Amino acid sequence: MSKPLLILDNVSMYFGGLKAVDNLSFTVNEGEIVGLIGPNGAGKTTVFNCVTQFYKNYEGDIYFSAASDKLDLRNCKVTDVIDQGLVRTFQNVELVADLSILENLLVGAHNQFQTGIVSHILRTKKAREEEKALREKAYEILKFLGIYEIRDLYVKGQPYGVMKKIEIARTLMSNPKMIILDEPAAGLNDRETDELETLIYEIKKKYNTTILLIEHDMGFVMNICDRIVAINFGKFLAMDTPKKIQQNKEVQEAYLGSDA
Amino acid sequence: MDILNKIERFFANISKQLSERPVLTFFLFGLVIASIGFLPHTGLIRWGTMGIFAYIIIFSVVAMGLNLLLGFSGLISLGTAGFVGAGALGLGVFMNMGIPFEIAAVLVLIISGLLGALIGLFSLKVEGIYLAIATLFVGEILRQIYTQVEIFGGQAIRIGSVRFLGFIELSMINQMQRSFLFLIITGFMVVMMVVMHNIVKSKTGRALMAMSRSQHAAQAMGISLLKYRLTAFVLATLFATFGGVMYGLYNQNVPTTAWTLDLSLFVIAMVIVGGLKSIYGTFLGVFIIYGIPNLWLKNYFGDISYIFSGILIILVIIFYPHGFVYIWYDLKKQYNRLKAYLSQKQVTQDE
Repeated sequence: MSKPLLILDNVSMYFGGLKAVDNLSFTVNEGEIVGLIGPNGAGKTTVFNCVTQFYKNYEGDIYFSAASDKLDLRNCKVTDVIDQGLVRTFQNVELVADLSILENLLVGAHNQFQTGIVSHILRTKKAREEEKALREKAYEILKFLGIYEIRDLYVKGQPYGVMKKIEIARTLMSNPKMIILDEPAAGLNDRETDELETLIYEIKKKYNTTILLIEHDMGFVMNICDRIVAINFGKFLAMDTPKKIQQNKEVQEAYLGSDA
Repeated sequence: MDILNKIERFFANISKQLSERPVLTFFLFGLVIASIGFLPHTGLIRWGTMGIFAYIIIFSVVAMGLNLLLGFSGLISLGTAGFVGAGALGLGVFMNMGIPFEIAAVLVLIISGLLGALIGLFSLKVEGIYLAIATLFVGEILRQIYTQVEIFGGQAIRIGSVRFLGFIELSMINQMQRSFLFLIITGFMVVMMVVMHNIVKSKTGRALMAMSRSQHAAQAMGISLLKYRLTAFVLATLFATFGGVMYGLYNQNVPTTAWTLDLSLFVIAMVIVGGLKSIYGTFLGVFIIYGIPNLWLKNYFGDISYIFSGILIILVIIFYPHGFVYIWYDLKKQYNRLKAYLSQKQVTQDE
């Protein structure tokens, strides 16, 4: 039995009078691929922002049990979340356009640098070795994703599919226990979506991570996820295997409207 | 045609070697600039020309700091002049107290750095145009302090000859020693170029860029906005203040009224005209905005030279909106076109 990694316990989030997330509870177990689905405006990204501590004033609790057992994420600063092994991508690709692909990966390794600015200015042996080691690590990830050859090109001007890949590569630099993907397949063509599917499987296997993702491409979600959480208007609808979610009355209603 | 190829191969080899050794490139660049310091002795250029180059060197260091702020961190400061003044006047005040040059320089750098950190804290609360206005008044306050507060004295602070490293007495008045001062500030510029290069190619440079391009992604990657805003402002202030120290060292007589908003705005223009994020571009920007008007235009056009330098700057911005440093790519393109033309000509001749 795999142990729970991420636990949302009665999480609510308000924006003014609007309840974006309403008493939401679910658990993601270690080694799972879990999809979070819901119609537009259901509060999916808000959930992600609460988990990664961009929003601090949520109600309820969010626990993460990678580095230490059942750590309350609220005690982590937004910049410390990555140290716990929890890392995310963004709905609209958020990369540094005027840095090379390789350097963007090194941004993802930011929290692993031990040396400070003074040793960087002096280019001490330790600083050079550290930079080199992390570069090697980036090379390996770039090779794994098949974008090693273009590593020195700027991110600016790369096709959307490649940018999505770079963002995933960047998350891998931080030795993640759990990767949160915000619409990884959005804007990809069919071939790229298929490729992404295999890629996510391989990442899970090779890097031994758990994956939580938001996606609108239902074919993709149904194929890839072990379990799916469906929400609507911030409220929990169901959490089950893809097949059962498809048959769930409430989920069908949320997407298609009721017969009445 | 053969000669062209040979020359090309020769330079391609050199440029490959140099691009792998950026520090060596900065050093060679410094050597070229340093040679200007000896030309007045041969009578090839006037002493005044060397003085203009000294200012170019000093402004380059100041502008590099602002480039870290503007180009890399996406932050703005209109208080640059105030910090250059702090470096130059502060050095004067401390040295007149009898403190040796090196210690006085470190003292003003520490004081300015703390002030910069304060503005950095400030920048967490205000952004964009509001930050510009806030820093504008920081500069204004500093300017008022320099002209009103007694310890900075009336029109100028005289430093007099500087005992460098404790044993070399260097005075502006002696021609040989002035060349030596020029050499020293060139050396300082090279050091600052290396420092800047090492910063922007390190974790810090990448973090500054990540922070300015996407705050959310930066935070998710563990980059603290507080830490890197402070870093950006402290670095920019230290570069500006160090420029001021170089000014004090070279001029040995520091006016109290020169540190106005004009200067801050000119430094911004230097960075933008030369090229954001480029070290050589920054130097180029200083050369265009300060060097060209003072080296040539003034001689030919006298009082109306500023009209021409204004037009020149506008033209540069229209044709090179990302910085004049991109002329390099255009030159390469032109060269390739010329080569293609020549080889075609040769083919027709052979026939």
